[in-house]
Order: sequence, then structure tokens, then C-alpha cells
Amino acid sequence: MSLAHPSFEAPGWRWLKARVWGLEHAFERARAAGKAEDDTRIRIFFVLTLFAVAFLVLAVGATRAALFSDAGRGGGYVGAVGAARADLVDRNGAMLAADLLHYGLYVDPREIWDADEVRRALRAALPDINRQRLEKVLRGERRGFVIAGLTPEQRARVHALGLPGVSFEPEERRVYPLGRTAAHLIGFADTGGVGLAGAERALNDVIRAGAPGKAAVPLSIDLRVQAALEDELYKAAAEFQPRGAVGVVTNVHTGEILGLASYPTYDPNQVAKASDDAKLNRAAASIYEMGSTFKAFTVAIGLDTGVATPSSTFDARQPFQLGYRTIKDYHAARKILTLVEVFQHSSNIGTAKLAESIGGERLSKYFADLGLTRPAKVELMESARPLTPRKWDMDAVASTSFGHGMNVSPLAVTSAMGALLNGGYLVPLTIRKLEPGQRPQGQRAISEQTSLQMLQIMRANVIGGSGKSANAPGLSVGGKTGTGEKYDPAIRGYSTQRQVSSFAAVFPTSGPVEADRYFVLILLDEPHGTAKTYGYSTGGWVAAPAAGRVIDRIAPFLHVKREPDLIKVVGEGSVAAAPLGDGH
Amino acid sequence: MSLIDRKIRGFRLIDLVALGVLAAVILGVYLAKTIAGRERAEIATVEKQIDAEKARIRLLQAEVAHLEQPARIEALSSAHLGMVPVQARNEATLDNLGQVALGKKTP
Repeated sequence: MSLAHPSFEAPGWRWLKARVWGLEHAFERARAAGKAEDDTRIRIFFVLTLFAVAFLVLAVGATRAALFSDAGRGGGYVGAVGAARADLVDRNGAMLAADLLHYGLYVDPREIWDADEVRRALRAALPDINRQRLEKVLRGERRGFVIAGLTPEQRARVHALGLPGVSFEPEERRVYPLGRTAAHLIGFADTGGVGLAGAERALNDVIRAGAPGKAAVPLSIDLRVQAALEDELYKAAAEFQPRGAVGVVTNVHTGEILGLASYPTYDPNQVAKASDDAKLNRAAASIYEMGSTFKAFTVAIGLDTGVATPSSTFDARQPFQLGYRTIKDYHAARKILTLVEVFQHSSNIGTAKLAESIGGERLSKYFADLGLTRPAKVELMESARPLTPRKWDMDAVASTSFGHGMNVSPLAVTSAMGALLNGGYLVPLTIRKLEPGQRPQGQRAISEQTSLQMLQIMRANVIGGSGKSANAPGLSVGGKTGTGEKYDPAIRGYSTQRQVSSFAAVFPTSGPVEADRYFVLILLDEPHGTAKTYGYSTGGWVAAPAAGRVIDRIAPFLHVKREPDLIKVVGEGSVAAAPLGDGH
Repeated sequence: MSLIDRKIRGFRLIDLVALGVLAAVILGVYLAKTIAGRERAEIATVEKQIDAEKARIRLLQAEVAHLEQPARIEALSSAHLGMVPVQARNEATLDNLGQVALGKKTP
């Protein structure tokens, strides 16, 4: 048998055919037919099968790789590995913090032939550029980093210059689009993606865990509530020039913080430029002797222990001697007061007498049950430890009954007040949004009956007591003023010039105990009285009006309906809005 | 003679068939790889565009959030429009829309 036209074939092809031909007839030469183990055809078939299988596997693999490979995907928006953080949003989904694509600028001096031109152009395009760093890179011998955090617009501007040796690398950067708004609650993270303050720190693990899918982490705050709170707090701060100020709004049933403001504030986008004072979250990290705001706790404890009823009377005609202290009233009523009147007049004498009846042991136990003897339960790491009396002697009982001798954070007061107003449960505060209708079960601190009584007493204080200026039309606001004199080491005593003035408000006080109810705290640290306040800088004059305005503005956002019957009472004019006496 | 042993011009049919199948598989893989590569390049381009658009959307969202800062809006509305926070008497609810329509004061 011969192959066709061998003379016209290339030698290589002839050689290949000869090899195949030889292989094909090898079995004939071997005369191995009938002996399977020596049959070359079987061996060849076996080897071919192996090759075919191997090739099929490769073919399937190659097809799969070609069709379903991830290679080549993405690349346009790849975050820095390990630094990525999920967005933070408010309870309605408004953006509070986000990782955004930025660019780092690099310069390779080896590709530059006119360093002066590059230097001049970069300085003109990027006025904030670090000149020393640019100079160092330009004078160096290899590619170096010059500036980070360029926005796409800035990148495009520099790119359009067509400078040689200038290149960019994408990077994620944490941005806080709202600037100063809710800065202390949101906090900030470092460039490595580690939260350093506020929610960024408190929820660091959650935020980082949510980054791969970019699932936003909703916070409890309502941006509308936050805005109204900040606006009124900053207006009060502008008017009374305090050293610092705090504003808090919470849902007393869920413990959700709906708004939190601390003054002075800062821009988390420019943390390096902010002072430590501005970065201090006074709501969580500062502790104050709250003054008469504490009387709400003493009165509630008196009611809960059965030591007093709302109609119990206390003789406030003369200063009261307790331990080695003589207790006086700032605005002496000089008469026998009922418990409600003690609250309305903010009588130190009446409150101290009530506290004496309660006794140190019970008073301290209730304070502990109300969470006032430990840091406020909240995710914020800044939550400060309170200063409490070492021993609960009569002096400590008297002092703490009206808010002295015990320093607590505004958030601790907020949490404890929530227990007085929500039916008696101490519910942990939270900066995370809870599911609608979810109400965490707290520890019972006082009875439901006491809680209802406190709502009425606090309402009475706004109708006819020191908290009149906090009233808001139709919202049945209740509250308690507080003015704590600050301890002055220079005089080794309490200063009458430096005060912590506050107003703790609740609305609406009407309705059943389980009705939606909100707490508002306004605190000004060392405010200064004005001609408008007749020089007073007490809680009733400086904090209560701001609290009332906050409530008036946020009620619609919280779906709190105004009661038409109550609107006229408030609308009677400025006389009704003036606090009783000095508003202490 | 079985089909396996049948020869065409000295080559067994089964070998020729196997060779043909092999060539077809090679061609198929080559074509699949080539076509898929082109498709993949297109997909990668589109995905890059999507990523870029997503980044742009996020930037715009942040820009909107920045521009809608409550303090900024309030300052602008107060300075340019003389607006103030809504007073209780100016609030309207679904219940009192009728009164509002009639020009009565709303509680």
C-alpha cells in the first residue's frame, strides 16, 4: 500500500505519515493478535483514551474559565482592602457617613524634564498641596506619594494639565457629607478604617462587617430632629455664651437616641483642625452636678417607697439643718408646701426633708437602680463613669437629693429620666435604629403608678412651676429645671457665678403609660445671663425655652399630635412663658 | 470486518474519527475561548462603567447630602426667603384640611 503522491509532499509530512503508518502496523509486526497484554492496538487505544480524557478535562476547564471567570471584572471602584466601612445613615436612610472614591497623587521625577513647570502647575491646581513633600518627591529618584484624598474633579483638573510623571491611584476615603451635623454622635474614623469616636468607634465591627456588601448601618437619630435640636441649642449657646452645651432627644420606651448635640462642635472631615474641647462629646463623656433636675429622682423615689404622696406636706418656712449642712431655698416660699409644690418651687428644703425620710440606703439603691451610679448604658465608648458619694451619710443624702455631690453624664440622666417616664423600666440607651414597634425590656426601677404620677408632677411644673417657658402649644410638655452650682477649687466651695443650667423635659405627658413619649434634655455649662433674662442664667431662663422650642419643632416629625384644648393655655402670652421666680 | 477495524487508505476509521473529533474539540474550544474572550472584554467594560457610575452616584448622593445639610438649608431659607420654623398655628393635618380650605385658623 502506498500513500498518494508522496513525491509532492514535504519531508516532514512524509516522516509523520511514516511514523503513524509504522505505529499502525506495529501489531502485525509483533504478531501479537489474540494476546491482549501484547496487543499494541490496545495499548495505543488506551493511551489515546487517556489523552482524550485529559484533553476533555482541559477543554471543559478552559471553557469554564473563558465563560465564567471573574478575571477582568471591576477595577473601576475597588476599595482599599481592610479599610472599607459601610455607610452610616439616619433612621430614615439619610446619608451620614460614606466611603467615597478618592485618588492619591504620585509623582515620578524620572519622567519629568521640567520640574519647575510641574511644581508650578501642581501648586496652582492644588493649593492645599504640602509643598515640602512635593519638593522632596521632585528632588527624589523614584516615584513618590504627594497628596491623598483628591476628589474626581480635582483628579480630572490635574489630569487635564497633561503633566509627565504624574499619576493617580484610587483610594477609599471616609467622608461625612453633613459636616458638623451630629458630629459627636457619628464620630470619625482614621484613614486605616478604624473608628475612633462616636458611632464610628462604638459600632466599628458592625460597620466594617457591612462593608463588603455596602450594607448601610442605620443609626437611631432622625436628621430632622437632630437639626432642630442643634439649631436651638446653638442659638441658646450664642445667646448665653456658655462654656459648653448639650442637647439630647430620646424615645423613653425604646431608649433610642433621636438627637444628640454637643457644643462646641467640629467637622469630622477635618478632625486634625478640631480642638480637643470641640471633639469632646459632652453628652456622654462629661459629668456634671445636675442640680435640681435630680429632684425628679428624689420625688419619684419618695413616691415609690411610699414615704410621700403628691399631697404630702413639707415645712419650707425655715432653713433645714441636715448633718452639718444648712439647706436653704434659692427662691424661698417660706411656707408649707405639698410635694407637688416642692417640685414646682424646686424647694431644696422640701426635697432634703423628703430624702431624709427616704434614708441613705434606699436613696442610694434607687439611684443604682436608675443607673446613676455607673456609666450610662449606651454603645458609645465615651460614656463616662459618674462620681458618687463614698458613703451615704446624711450630708450625702441631702446633697444628692437636689443634685449636688454626685456628678453624672447627661446621658446617664437621660437614661434614668426615661425610667421615670416610661412606666418604670430602665431601658439602655442606643444609637442603633430598632425595628418599628420593638421595645426592649428593661429592668424595673420604679412602679408604673409612680411613673404616671411623675408625668403629672412634671406637667404641673410646666403649667405652674419653674418650667413654664418650656411649654409648647398642645403638646402637654412636662419637665424639671436644674441649676447646679459648680465646685470651684480656687475658693474650695461652690461658685454662685458658674452654674450648670438644664431642663429635662418630656412630652406628651398625657395619654396612657405605653403611649409614645419623648425626652428632651437641654444643658448649658456656665451660661451667662442677659438683659432679656434679667441677668439670670438658671435652667428656667436659659435651658427651658430652648427645650420648649425644640419640642415645638420636633413634635410633627415624631407624629405627636397637638391637643387643641391645650393650645390656648400656652397662647396666653409672654407672662405665661416666664419661669417661676429665678427659674432655679 | 467490524467498523472499528475498517480502514480507509490504510488508516483505521476509528482513528480518523477520533482525529476528527479531536480537531472539532480543539476548534470548538478555540472558538469558545475567542468568542467568550470578546464577550468577557465587553462585560468587563460594561461592569467598569457600572462601577464608575455607582461611584459617581455615591459621589452625587454625598454631594446632595452635603448641600442638604439642615443647618445650610435653614440659613439659606432664613437669609433669602425669610422663612422660620413652622408655628403650631400654621401646622396642618389631614383632619383639619377642611378648616384650612375654609380659611379658618388651625389649632
